Amino acid sequence: MSRNVRTCLLSSLVALVGCGGSSASDDGSLRAALLTSGPVSDAGWYAGAYDGLLLIQDSLGATISHQQTATPAEFDEAFLAYASSGYDLIFAHGFEYQDAAVRAGSQFPDVTIVVSGGGRIADNVVPLIFRLEEGSYLAGMAAAAMSETGMVGMVGGVAIPPAQGTFRAFEAGARSIDPDIRVLETFTGDWNDVAAAKEATVAQLSRGADVIIHNVDAASFGVFQAVREAAADGRTVWAVGMNSDQNDVAPDVIIGSAVIRIPQAFLETARRWETGEVGGAPIYASIREGVIDFVFNPRLMDRVPSGIVERIAAARSDIRSGALTVPRVRFVEDEVGAP
Amino acid sequence: MSQAELVLFLEASVRLGIPLALAALGETISERSGVINIGLEGSIIGGALGGALGALAFESAGLGVVTGAAAGVLAASVFAVFAVWLGADQIITGTAVTIGGLGMTGAIYQARFGVTGTELSLPTLAAVRVPLLADIPIVGSALFDQAPTAYLAYLLAPTLWYFLFHTPYGLELRAVGEAPDAAEAAGVRVLLVRLATTLFGGLLAGIAGAHLALAHAGTFAENMSAGKGFIAIAVVVLGRWNPVLVLLAALFFGAASALQFFLQALGLDLAYQIFLALPYLLTLAALAGWVGRARAPAALALPWESKR
Repeated sequence: MSRNVRTCLLSSLVALVGCGGSSASDDGSLRAALLTSGPVSDAGWYAGAYDGLLLIQDSLGATISHQQTATPAEFDEAFLAYASSGYDLIFAHGFEYQDAAVRAGSQFPDVTIVVSGGGRIADNVVPLIFRLEEGSYLAGMAAAAMSETGMVGMVGGVAIPPAQGTFRAFEAGARSIDPDIRVLETFTGDWNDVAAAKEATVAQLSRGADVIIHNVDAASFGVFQAVREAAADGRTVWAVGMNSDQNDVAPDVIIGSAVIRIPQAFLETARRWETGEVGGAPIYASIREGVIDFVFNPRLMDRVPSGIVERIAAARSDIRSGALTVPRVRFVEDEVGAP
Repeated sequence: MSQAELVLFLEASVRLGIPLALAALGETISERSGVINIGLEGSIIGGALGGALGALAFESAGLGVVTGAAAGVLAASVFAVFAVWLGADQIITGTAVTIGGLGMTGAIYQARFGVTGTELSLPTLAAVRVPLLADIPIVGSALFDQAPTAYLAYLLAPTLWYFLFHTPYGLELRAVGEAPDAAEAAGVRVLLVRLATTLFGGLLAGIAGAHLALAHAGTFAENMSAGKGFIAIAVVVLGRWNPVLVLLAALFFGAASALQFFLQALGLDLAYQIFLALPYLLTLAALAGWVGRARAPAALALPWESKR
């Protein structure tokens, strides 16, 4: 019996490989894939990437595929699977993929890998750098304006450079409004642990912080929940969304979101790939391209102090023109004079 | 730390410790019968989603806990069939149940609530204040102003301890975990005991998951179990397979994670990872015999087949 099973498995394996081979695009249309190391149901960082993949499918007629890798051990396998089955463009959505991407890139020179927030560069491996610091800076301005206690908080997942960068910028933005503001910072060590993010937020709120920004994935629900419970207890407290426009996720407490319009950035990258412009250098996506921004929650505008909207608009155009430089953590190799 | 802050810290410790305690108490019983269920994580995430779906469907957090428990049992029954009944390797089967549980719950959640996810507004399990006990200074509100699931853990720990060490059924259960052949010779139905303890472990892990979704987070998120099943298994070791000590060990793990959040909120610039690692170091010490005697049930993780 075991032999039968083995034969059966083997033949289905062959069938699978056969399928993969025959469906490799013969019509020359783009085949794009997405790797995420967390669930795309986070209404944030990964959800935006998934929407981007769908946008590439709709706008460019591309064949698409998405895979969620569970552990770093699967990164290489996932690249191998896509590269060997005819995918042209692989979006690896996170800093954590950068080393595996470089390994896969050297093995499959015909495949282009775009690493969101990556730091390593090869001919066919390019970082897609979101200048989320710019949106985060504006969020910091809004937070400081909303704060009545003079204390705001930041709750992060793992202290990777892109996440630290957004926090440094948030702090700088807050200080530009209130030089004496106190800024708390907590990393929970996990992007999806809702309970941990909630308790980290509870701890910051109990210290007196009254506006909390996050940089986590699905765990952001815990941040919003903690703020909502404090609001239900009669405190005036706010949360700030991050990565996607999260204003609808908890519309009663999210005052605004520092957004990356990830779908737009992905589509633009895919278009540039089609014209052969992607390779050897990082792609930057910032306020200038309209990819990064800070958006107030329209339902809570009556709670926003007067004047701050105008000050944020002014800062936005200063960032765009280059008159204002937002602090960030540099992590892209050989980065000099980057925009 | 002021007294008010101490109280807040203790409250957070208990909130973080309770799901670990529930899952670890169930695992204590199954390990005492010789079954190490690494698939606990699968039962917890199943319980979280089952709890969320049930609470939405019945518009009741209490019924959500029931459906969460059922989902936990469902995940554990997969383990029971393969690892206990068919005698497959317990570690491999448990890993499969964990990975399968994380994947299945993700797929169901995305099918039900949309691929890119949203925060659910679940009916939540409100804290119930125990009269008098909650007024004890400092620890009162931390221990006795919690969700009902916390009180379940407090009651289960001494009950299970009494059951294990002072009843004939408890003796039979432990005999199954120490020397299944001898237990069978003495007339104990070994497989039946192991199937029952495994499902009981799944039941409590499911309640732990439902607690996470309904009492703590107020929503479901993929992967929200975040390794708590594995931590619970470490808690069992630190608690030396004794339900009362397991409850204390779970609260200690809860305190360790609460501490790192509080220290960071205080603005102390130190490596928080040390505090994350602390309970594990203690667990290692327990295994090495530095924190009292810790000995696993002799037949733990060994597949067993009837000799009749």
